[in-house]
Amino acid sequence: MIIVGTLESSDCLITIIPAETLIIEVDSIVYDAFGQQICHVIKHTLAKANITKAHIICQDKGALDYTIKARLETAIARYQEEGF
Amino acid sequence: MNRSYLFIPGDVPRMLQMLDVFDADAVIIDFEDAVALNQKDEARFLTRNFIQTHPPKAIEVYIRINHIIDDPKETMKDLEMIIDLPISGIVAPKINRLSLAKLDRYFEEKTSPLKIIGLVETPDVFFDLMTLAQHPRIQGLMLGAEDLTRIMNIERNLTGDNILWARSSIVYAMHSVSKEAIDTPYTVIHDHQGLAKDATIAANLGFTGKAVIHPNHVEGVHLAFTPTEHQILTAKKIVEYAKKNQSIRFNLDGKMVDKPIIDKAHALLEKYAKNGDKS
Repeated sequence: MIIVGTLESSDCLITIIPAETLIIEVDSIVYDAFGQQICHVIKHTLAKANITKAHIICQDKGALDYTIKARLETAIARYQEEGF
Repeated sequence: MNRSYLFIPGDVPRMLQMLDVFDADAVIIDFEDAVALNQKDEARFLTRNFIQTHPPKAIEVYIRINHIIDDPKETMKDLEMIIDLPISGIVAPKINRLSLAKLDRYFEEKTSPLKIIGLVETPDVFFDLMTLAQHPRIQGLMLGAEDLTRIMNIERNLTGDNILWARSSIVYAMHSVSKEAIDTPYTVIHDHQGLAKDATIAANLGFTGKAVIHPNHVEGVHLAFTPTEHQILTAKKIVEYAKKNQSIRFNLDGKMVDKPIIDKAHALLEKYAKNGDKS
C-alpha cells in the first residue's frame, strides 16, 4: 500500500492498494461540484502511466487539479518502484 | 536586483498557490532543508505540476535544490524535474568550485539558461568568493548564516556582529562584479523590530537584498531596502541642482556636493524607480 499527500486544506491523500481490477474511490468535501473532474484527473493520470489494475482512494480536501495529479504521480512512481 | 527572496516549502500546495500574493520580489521553492527526506519526491512532483499549470508571471521563481556533492542522487532527480520549467534559476546549497562546476556542466549539456544563486554557508568558500562571483552562471551569492555558524560552533546573535566579516566579504565580492549580494534571513518570526534592525544593517553594509523565511517579513525587508522619502527628496534636489547649474561641485544646504555624490544620487533614484515598479 502506498500513501501520498496530506489531509490539510488544499491538499489530498492518495492511497494505492494492489488489486485485480481498477477501482477508484473519491471522498471529497466538494464532491457535488467537482467529483467528476477529480475522477477525470485520476483516470487520465493512471492511463498516462499505463495503470489498469489498482485500488485508488482519493481523500480530497479541496485540492486543485495539479495537486491531485502530482500526488497521484508521486504515488504511482513509488508504487512502480516497489515492483507492483 | 531583488530586495526579497521568500522561501516556500515545495511540498505544501496551499503555500505554492499563494507564492505571488506575499509581495516578495522573488520566491525560492525549497526542495532542501524545508522538505523531509521521505517527501522529496512529493515536492518535486507538486512543484513541477504547479509551475506547469501556473507559470510565474509577475514574480521571479527559483528552486533550492539538494546538495550535488553530499546528495547527488536526490539532486539529479531535482534537476531532471525542473530543467525545462519556466523559472529564473536555482539556489545551490553549500556552493563551492566543485559544486558550481558540476551544476554548470549539467546546465551546459542541457543548453539551459538557468542562473545559479549560490548559498555561502561553509567557512572555506569565503577564500574563493571572487572565483565564484565571476562565474557567468552565478547571478548572486546568498549568505547562509545558520549553517555557517553551526559549522563554526558559534551562536547566531541578534546584533549579527559575529557574522560581520562574512557579510562584508560577500558584499565586496559581489559589488566588484555588479551582481546580487543577498543577506541571510532573520529567523525570529514575530520580532519585527529585530527584523527591521537586522535588515537595515544588511542594507547599510551594501547587500542588494535579503532572504526571507516568513511572509510577514517581506514588508520589513522591503522597507529597509527601499530609499526613504527624505533620501529620495535629497537625491532629486542634488540631481536637479547639478543639471540646472551645469555643476559637478557645489554647496547644497551647507553640504559639499561633488561628482561621487551626484552619481550616488542618480543611482539611488534609478534604484527607487526600479523598486517602485515592484511595489
